[in-house]
Amino acid sequence: MLTVENLSVTYYQHNLKVHAVKEISFVLEPGQTLGIIGESGSGKTTLGLAIMGILNPNAKVNGKISYNGVNLRELSSKQLNKYRWKHIAMVFQNGLETLNPLLTVKEQIMECVTRHLDLSIKEANKRVIHLLEQVGLEPFVSDYFPHQLSGGMRQKVLIAMALACEPKILIVDEPTSSLDAISKAEIVRLLAKVQREKRFSMIVISHDFSVISSLTSKMCVMYRGSILEEGLTRDILNNPMHTYTRGLINSSPSINPFQDLWGIPAANSKAGDGCPFYPRCSQRLDVCKDKKPKLEYVSLERRVACNQGGIVTLLEASGIYKTFIFKGRSIVACNNCHITVRAGEIVALIGQSGSGKTTLASILSGYLKPDKGIIKFLGQKVSSHELTCRPKGLQMIFQDPFSSINEGFTVLQAVTEPLDILKLYSPQERKEKAKKALFAVELPVDENFLQRRCFTLSGGQRQRVSIARSLILEPRLLIADEISSMLDPSTQANILRLLKGLQNSFGFAMIYITHDLNLARKIADKLYIMHQGEIIEQGPAGEVFKNPSSEYAKQLINSADLL
Amino acid sequence: MSMVYRKILKLLMTFFVIITLNFCLPRLMPGDPFYFLSSEQGEITISYSDEEIQRQRAYYGLDKPIMVQYGGYLKSMAKGDLGYSIYFNNDVWTIIKNRIPWSISLVFLSMIIGGFFGIILGCLSAWQRNGLLDKILYSTMVFVSEIPPFLIGILFLFYLAAHWGLFPLSGGMTPFADYASWTDRIFDIAYHGILPVITLGVVQMGDFFLISRSSMIAVMNKDYMTTARAKGITTGRILLRHALTNAALPIITRIFNGLGQAVGGTVLVENVFNYPGLGLLMRQAVLVRDYPLIQGIFLTITLFVLIMNFMADIVYKKFDPRIV
Repeated sequence: MLTVENLSVTYYQHNLKVHAVKEISFVLEPGQTLGIIGESGSGKTTLGLAIMGILNPNAKVNGKISYNGVNLRELSSKQLNKYRWKHIAMVFQNGLETLNPLLTVKEQIMECVTRHLDLSIKEANKRVIHLLEQVGLEPFVSDYFPHQLSGGMRQKVLIAMALACEPKILIVDEPTSSLDAISKAEIVRLLAKVQREKRFSMIVISHDFSVISSLTSKMCVMYRGSILEEGLTRDILNNPMHTYTRGLINSSPSINPFQDLWGIPAANSKAGDGCPFYPRCSQRLDVCKDKKPKLEYVSLERRVACNQGGIVTLLEASGIYKTFIFKGRSIVACNNCHITVRAGEIVALIGQSGSGKTTLASILSGYLKPDKGIIKFLGQKVSSHELTCRPKGLQMIFQDPFSSINEGFTVLQAVTEPLDILKLYSPQERKEKAKKALFAVELPVDENFLQRRCFTLSGGQRQRVSIARSLILEPRLLIADEISSMLDPSTQANILRLLKGLQNSFGFAMIYITHDLNLARKIADKLYIMHQGEIIEQGPAGEVFKNPSSEYAKQLINSADLL
Repeated sequence: MSMVYRKILKLLMTFFVIITLNFCLPRLMPGDPFYFLSSEQGEITISYSDEEIQRQRAYYGLDKPIMVQYGGYLKSMAKGDLGYSIYFNNDVWTIIKNRIPWSISLVFLSMIIGGFFGIILGCLSAWQRNGLLDKILYSTMVFVSEIPPFLIGILFLFYLAAHWGLFPLSGGMTPFADYASWTDRIFDIAYHGILPVITLGVVQMGDFFLISRSSMIAVMNKDYMTTARAKGITTGRILLRHALTNAALPIITRIFNGLGQAVGGTVLVENVFNYPGLGLLMRQAVLVRDYPLIQGIFLTITLFVLIMNFMADIVYKKFDPRIV
């Protein structure tokens, strides 16, 4: 019905070129609902205005926009006026001056009706009243001027106006921005209702996931004028494939009511000709700087624009078995365990003590040999500790900072130890790296501190030293085994925030092992629950907490009083 | 409705403050009316003795204490009596009344001409913004509106009146003329009025152009213009109903401001053309320190400005529903 092909929009202002939309293509079927999400300035609204053909003259448009086979871009303004509002209408972003302040509501709706529909004055009057009633407004509102309306009423008038000529496509731009929670819910319900009744196609432009998820079945994620991900709304929300999409989801309070909110770090370098998200991506490679990724299918209904095909799967362990023989009794610690960790995500591994969490972690990090099972890191099969003894591999932080660090070492020795063992870099460089790592974990970096013996440090400081030690090899995956359980609550909060902050800026992935469900809910993206050596529940953290499937998980979550 | 009453009350209070100022101002000025009464413009030939001046002062009440003078002033003001001109030897109101039509018709006509061309060209310029037409019009109009009106007047006077003799040099009508019919009379008045009207008109046009261009440009960038274009309604309706009604608001203010200045704003032009309006009268009155006349003129000007502002408020309210 509506096909957009290679659409580009460039604004020219004072010799400044701004590419607001870059070679975007998508198809909208009759009756389909499509969401477009992105941060402000990503070109969403420009896209909407381009489809309507009402961009400013200083915007240069390229590409094709066809509606029922007619290329709208080839039509004259006069011909286009026949399509505007009658076939494609728009609910503009609610602003004080979106409606003409000097004309009554009635006149502003009426002028669309009389222009496009062949109605008598009387019928047109009736239609205006009918439209107002349809969006839940009293007929007398028609005599109001825009400044006499509340924000919610104004939004309804905008919707009524857009529906005036029964359009086949409705573009809705930020329908709930600046509305309170109740009006917001009301507007979303209203839009869903009219769409269901009239069966028009709808494009919903918003930066709010809750709006997109309740109004659309398909969605595109836009960044700096490009579509980075496209697919079914529900799928994308449950399993984002692009780091940007995941970042957006992680910063949405409506999707993560319990998790700490972490925005995507701002860019510290400029995007070149390559991937537009390169400067902010947590799994960027050098290729991404110059190679612009194409939007390509990664599964049946999902397209992602990423040189690495979306978020990389870092670690994939499958069919892990481990049995201990203890005084002739065999204890199954791991029974057919599967675990998958994608780049940049936090996976919480939950279970009671003795459920086999630590055994699984030890197997993953290569300290323990499994009886059976395969571990793959970035698609490569690995065995024993080859991952932990290389940079950009896997590191572990242990529960007890007092025994995991040699007390007699100086701080410097403790932190540089991995480099010393692996004989990487010169001593001077090692020291620089140690300082950097200590700085990152917010410890002092002066000579005095570097030469202190570890036994003089407090528990919190020691845990920071051990985090610094694991960061020095720039791991892509960090396994943190109950790292905060021996710390007091305040130190625990500091360490966790620190770790999450580091994770957000460096972009490593983390397996966080804990028995503390409250903590897990605060930080985890994905959840694995272990019980008697088996993984009995897994999924996106929000889903699992809201709706646990196994009996044990229900019990666990109930006992923690989280439901 | 109570808003209107409150506005009228405010108006009256303003008026009171102004008549008080009007009373004080001439008395604070240096000079003395009788000094000038006894001299022929500039050339000082004293023909009054000190004794006579004292007598005149007593006659006009200028020797009484200032508060007594003020009381008397307010009393006669209440009666509608503006006093008696010392210099012209006539009732002040009668003098002013004869001059008002000249000034008003001058301003009115020039505003119609200047406003008409100014607004149309301004809208055209805004519509074709940054185009060639806009660039030419804009720079011309800025230039025109920056020239002081009397300079334009003198230019016209030099070339059109003096050099080519197309128009009369001065005055509002031919002195001592005997008109065969009333059409001749009107023709004569119009003939004398053309240059002053055009001079003022050019100035007004520059003003109106700049105001309507800028408010039109501001309106073009408003969100509701995008909304209007998206609706697919005709360009005519977009321009007239959506753009112009909004752009008209500042223009209306300008019109009433201009009308308010009808009496006072023409001083320079009237003096250049020696046109018998209030502006010319004012200069004469100031030169000879004719207190009652000066006060009378100032009061007329003030009243005019106040009334026009009041009317501007009322008309504005009709146009803009947001104003309560």
